[in-house]
Amino acid sequence: MENDELVQNMVLELRRGILSIAVLSQLSREQYGYSLLKALSDQGLEIDQSTLYPLLRRLESQGLLQSDWRIADESRPRRYYVISTQGKAVLTKLKREWSAMVETMKQMLS
Amino acid sequence: MSLIDRYIAEVGRHLPEKDRSDIEAEIRSTLEDMVEERRHHATKSTDDEIIAETLEQLGDPQLLASKYTPLKRYLIGPGWYDVYLKTLQRVLLTVLPIFAAVTFILTLTENPLDFINAVGEAVGGAFNVGLQILFWMTIVFVFLERSDEVPNMPKGADTRAWTVAQLPKLPKKRQIRVAETVLNIVSILFVLIWIALPFTLARLQGNPVSVPFLHPNLWNLWLPLFFVILGLTLILEVFKLKIGNWTPALMATNVILSLISIIYIAALAITQDLVNPNFLAMLDNAAGSSELREVVAWTIDISAAVIAGTYVWSIVDSVRKSRRLSK
Repeated sequence: MENDELVQNMVLELRRGILSIAVLSQLSREQYGYSLLKALSDQGLEIDQSTLYPLLRRLESQGLLQSDWRIADESRPRRYYVISTQGKAVLTKLKREWSAMVETMKQMLS
Repeated sequence: MSLIDRYIAEVGRHLPEKDRSDIEAEIRSTLEDMVEERRHHATKSTDDEIIAETLEQLGDPQLLASKYTPLKRYLIGPGWYDVYLKTLQRVLLTVLPIFAAVTFILTLTENPLDFINAVGEAVGGAFNVGLQILFWMTIVFVFLERSDEVPNMPKGADTRAWTVAQLPKLPKKRQIRVAETVLNIVSILFVLIWIALPFTLARLQGNPVSVPFLHPNLWNLWLPLFFVILGLTLILEVFKLKIGNWTPALMATNVILSLISIIYIAALAITQDLVNPNFLAMLDNAAGSSELREVVAWTIDISAAVIAGTYVWSIVDSVRKSRRLSK
């Protein structure tokens, strides 16, 4: 039982590390908070909402995302996020790092 | 919608002013998305239940707000913590003994016989002063923490590459602890004042209000000698503090001075009447018998033996450590 809790904490830590990459990768097309959450969860990455929304703001303040309030489709105004030029550059580098890490881990764990 | 309004107000309350309305609007729009989604899926719940469920999914509003604003949720962080502890320790160790000693002496000069009262005043006063120091020191460091200056933290990327040359030298090991010598110095000063003050006061006032504890005859030879020895010991302690190790010269001085002290104490205890006869008479009056007088006599003999014993130990200790140093 104790181990379960340990594992859960470590998984949370791992996930926290990859959140930024995941979010950046999904925002080449603009999304609002809730649609992004669903897009991520459809692909198997469940994020706590109270983690995702602050993260979006932080990435924006770092210049990796752009956002604006807009009324799309039907009714309500929503804040739409999309990756910035700087964000794209950063994402390219991150992807490279990630592949290297996966390779390393594969070798270690095989 | 009042539940949503209340939730958003609660989040906003914990947000910094400048981002508040923006974040509030975003959370509201998200909540509306979530509620709508739930309405499609769950048909049987009422609107209020759906909203409550949605809000609970988003969780504690205060926690949500804290994720938007990584405020410092501690008083003193790791950058200042060591400095804080060290400063606090140093100040307390310096101030409290001196304060306690001064309080003790002042109280004793008012009521020369009331040792218990004087000890109580000294301990109680020191406790209060300690609390004050702790409080104000903490306040100061809380402000320092919130200023931009942070010492002892790994510096950012702007510093030059670290080389081994920057490693500090190993601190020299002291054989003689600072706290020990400081304590000795304070005790010596305290003894000097305790003995000198009542007599001086009595002489100044001409007509002594209180009865001095020590025998007046001692002033002819023994007490001046005592002050000389104590003065020399004080100088020795200062050198011990400065040098920190039992160098041959320091050890030799310590051995000689300790021997002199032992001889002096033995001679004093054996050949002299230490206590003022008036004082003893007063004790007899108070007790109605000579019981207290005997207690005083015993206490003096035992104290003399103990003090002589510590000098013997001091000799042994300094010789041993001095030999270890020369190896």
